[in-house]
Amino acid sequence: MTSARDFTEVEASICTAARMMEENKIYWVVGSGPPRFSLSLAKRLYAPKLVYMTEDGCMGQQTRYPLEAFMNMVCSRGNYRALGWASMNIACAHTAAGFVDYAVLATLQIDPYGNLNTSMMGDDYARPSRRFGGSGGANEMGSLAWGTIILTTIEKRKFVEKVDFVTTPGFLDGSPGARERAGLPAGTGPYRVVTPEAVFGYDEETHYMKLLGISKWVSIEEVLGNMGFEPIVPDNVEITDPPTEEELVVLRSEIDITGRTIGRGSKWISLP
Amino acid sequence: MEQFKEIRIFSEGRGELFQPPDLDGFRAYVRRHKVKGLVNKVVTEQEAVMKLVQDGDYLVYDCNMFQRGPSLLVREIIRQGKKNLGVAGKFTYMDIALLVAGGCVDRIDVGFIGVGLAPVTKAIRESRVRLTEWSNSAMTMRLLAGAMGMPFIPASFLGGTDVYAHSAAKTIEDPYTGRETILLPALNPDIAMIHVHQSDTYGNARVFGSDIAAWETAASSRKVIISAEEIIDTEDIRKDPGRTTIPYFLVDAVVEAPFGAYPGEMSGLYAADMDHVTLLLQAATNSDETPMLDYLERNVHSVGSNLEFLEKRVGFKRLMQLKRQAEIKEGYYP
Repeated sequence: MTSARDFTEVEASICTAARMMEENKIYWVVGSGPPRFSLSLAKRLYAPKLVYMTEDGCMGQQTRYPLEAFMNMVCSRGNYRALGWASMNIACAHTAAGFVDYAVLATLQIDPYGNLNTSMMGDDYARPSRRFGGSGGANEMGSLAWGTIILTTIEKRKFVEKVDFVTTPGFLDGSPGARERAGLPAGTGPYRVVTPEAVFGYDEETHYMKLLGISKWVSIEEVLGNMGFEPIVPDNVEITDPPTEEELVVLRSEIDITGRTIGRGSKWISLP
Repeated sequence: MEQFKEIRIFSEGRGELFQPPDLDGFRAYVRRHKVKGLVNKVVTEQEAVMKLVQDGDYLVYDCNMFQRGPSLLVREIIRQGKKNLGVAGKFTYMDIALLVAGGCVDRIDVGFIGVGLAPVTKAIRESRVRLTEWSNSAMTMRLLAGAMGMPFIPASFLGGTDVYAHSAAKTIEDPYTGRETILLPALNPDIAMIHVHQSDTYGNARVFGSDIAAWETAASSRKVIISAEEIIDTEDIRKDPGRTTIPYFLVDAVVEAPFGAYPGEMSGLYAADMDHVTLLLQAATNSDETPMLDYLERNVHSVGSNLEFLEKRVGFKRLMQLKRQAEIKEGYYP
């Protein structure tokens, strides 16, 4: 497979995440954007028997792209040729009972333990500088799926020591059993954080974010320079492959045909 | 003397419980007010909202103005100037911006309430709207508990977060296992609005496609308004009873409402009007209030009914285009 030379940052994230998705697993994914695109790309190229579901209890859909803005759940294109149509309580029930392997989420802020904020910005809950949607389904997804995969971008204001509001639980304070003490199912928690420049996992004992791989167009120093905290940096940090030509063709011509997500506003990377 | 054992409460959210559980009160209401006979409940949207929605009521609706939401009833509530409503903000977006901009809402249980909606953010900052945090499934599970006549429902999410801290959930010691268990209080709203594909005149209602919580929403609420794209014969309900999503006895009013979800999509029937959605989004995300007030004037206050809105503000040609755009039919209508 030929590595591509010109692609956007969002495309890099989606392609990296797509290679992480596993055959014969069940995912619960947010309605739209890079998380859903990464699963669709994985299904198309690497894991055709992967199944994903959405908050409206739609399971195993073969999404008929393109999706208009906001039109991703309880809609005919988003729910096209599914294996089942149910409801939100059913989606949550199956996940609470342990059937869902991974949740795939986006976030506005993330801390070293993988706690996520999609609710509000500011110091004062009653006077938010910006108010966002709130949990939606993210809290239950990040609580109940066995692992959580997060797609986001590396920015100092996003990777922060402390998020303004914990919407979705990561490893909470990182202490052993913190999630269980909070009433969450045992053995669950953040698994990977995928960004254009770097992929992170978590240290098994401390639950602190750990750098696993970087893209070939950045250095470790550049990655760390864009973060508001320093993750664990092991001796062997892998170099993540850039998108392949094949991945980009599928992504651009079959998935985000309008380019609304993969193109607009995302920085272009040009490799020599 | 009998020895009592105690269940420990480990922690409690400090959010306001807007609609405290009252199982006996709900059952007494059902016993006194719900009509068990098969009677025609068809009314206009004006009659339904005027008679059933009271100022101060706690409102829940299924889905939202983008997909299968009761858009016409949301507009009618604003038109009639209902005040001080509480809203179950699950899986909602533009509806909440319109209701808040229309001055109808003073409290919201947050599941999901949209991103960057200026009227909502402004109302929060000015303390005109109080919030309690939950999540979408927390809200649908609370409705499920309310629908099942349970006082609360245990859950294994929400805990450990600021969502929990700003909720009214509690964490207790599970009396069977000793494990930390989160309790969500049952929710029995005052008024529910659900837009469906088909209903008979009694309120036997059918939703086609995936669902947020149509049945839970109807079954947990004191008063229930169904708006239906189409009123069908009860004989057609009887020919395919597995398709009945909501049974008639839960329902107080049935409103015939073709294109009632407009500008949203009604799966299998018509597509969303993306031009109108974009217009609405621009108005709702603008920090200047004028575009939103203009939107409400043009599309809500200056028309008397949904039919007039569709005729004068949308037009037959556009509606036919939206019908044609709904190419995917598989799986929806029987």
